[in-house]
Amino acid sequence: MEWTSKARGNALVVRPTGAIDHDSAEAFQENLTAALEQLTETDGPLVIDFSGVDYMSSVGLRVLMRVSKTAKTKSVQLAVANLNETMVEIFQISRFDKLFPLHDSVDAAIAG
Amino acid sequence: MLVRFWGTRGSLPTPISSVEIREKIVGALLAADGRRFNDADEAAAFVEGDLAFPIGNTYGGNSSCVELDLGEDEFMVFDMGSGLRPLGIDALRRFGEGRAKTFNIFMSHLHWDHIMGFPFFTPAFIPGVKLNFFGGHDQIEHALRRQQEKISFPVPLDFMNAEMTFTVLEPGEIHEINGCRVEVIKQYHDNDSYGYRVERGGKTFVYSTDSEHKGDDLEAENAFVEFFRDADLVIFDTMYSLGDSITMKEDWGHSSGLIAVDFCHRAEAKRLAMFHHEPLYDDKTLHGLLEETQRYEELMRGEHALEILCAADGLEVRL
Ligand SMILES: [Zn+2]
Ligand SMILES: [Zn+2]
Repeated sequence: MEWTSKARGNALVVRPTGAIDHDSAEAFQENLTAALEQLTETDGPLVIDFSGVDYMSSVGLRVLMRVSKTAKTKSVQLAVANLNETMVEIFQISRFDKLFPLHDSVDAAIAG
Repeated sequence: MLVRFWGTRGSLPTPISSVEIREKIVGALLAADGRRFNDADEAAAFVEGDLAFPIGNTYGGNSSCVELDLGEDEFMVFDMGSGLRPLGIDALRRFGEGRAKTFNIFMSHLHWDHIMGFPFFTPAFIPGVKLNFFGGHDQIEHALRRQQEKISFPVPLDFMNAEMTFTVLEPGEIHEINGCRVEVIKQYHDNDSYGYRVERGGKTFVYSTDSEHKGDDLEAENAFVEFFRDADLVIFDTMYSLGDSITMKEDWGHSSGLIAVDFCHRAEAKRLAMFHHEPLYDDKTLHGLLEETQRYEELMRGEHALEILCAADGLEVRL
């Protein structure tokens, strides 16, 4: 999995690419966990920019939820942005759209 | 092999309400749109052929009980929820046709919704009937005995005339039962549950209910994928949405349709039956969940297409 990570003010924007399924779930989790470690409660949100992700299976969604729980214990906000049509549908079917607001842009995600 | 679903509801039997029946009648009348039927057969053909499943049918409300019908041979039964009662009545009819009076009964676990049908299982009262219980738990007899103690039920287990045997099956070993190759897997559920893989005549049936898959142990998930490998039918606990199963209902011991699809895709299983339906869901909701799960399958499909159905009381699936 290709992964870029960029600070934007107090926020950290990470951008995974490709598909997130059982082959890439572990890398997805490791990268997210590492990103989270860079942030403390005084920092802005950890934004996952999904613009480079084609689709995500249940294993990726479960990783996202676990990382979001860890973020909560650290009082760090986790936000998602730029989901393609397939990803929006997957979030709706899994009811993850009820757990994560789906932002149209990284800016909107940072604004919260 | 013929798979017959006698009970598909999770947690508690769920009778259909008058409100729901009225909704179905209204839906049917609207769909008929003034059409005339000359006799009952014509009307039945319309119900059969033209009405959407949740208008013309119900998924049913009995709790977990599935039969694997091997034709001539002994009965194979998975769990004894309230669906076991109608199975018992039908078995009496089949005894009359010369069917063997032996039941091999595989228990996923001993929660109440999976054993509650047994006190009402008529064949258990008939001398000459043999009941062979199998499971990963060594407390099957204890659970059945306790359920029928005086404080809860008027007829104790010892009053039942059928001969009963209880066999613990070790996960990971291959067991030969009734001409079938049976494998067992330990699952994640309060006080454990067990899944079954049954192979015979080149066909494979998998029964995997009441299991939570949190995704924190990918090795363990691979073991389930292998357990489902090339199955003709996988019956899977799809009680909750993925979101619910890992938030509000975390550690409740149940799973979702999306996890089922991902496991079955990787295992290249042919068919998935959604099972252990949430009692809160009416037929329309269950049908909607089936369509959403089918859509997810389509989105995630690689080279291998998976057929998905929603198990219903009375549904038969030939493998
Ligand atoms: Zn159950
Ligand atoms: Zn249970």
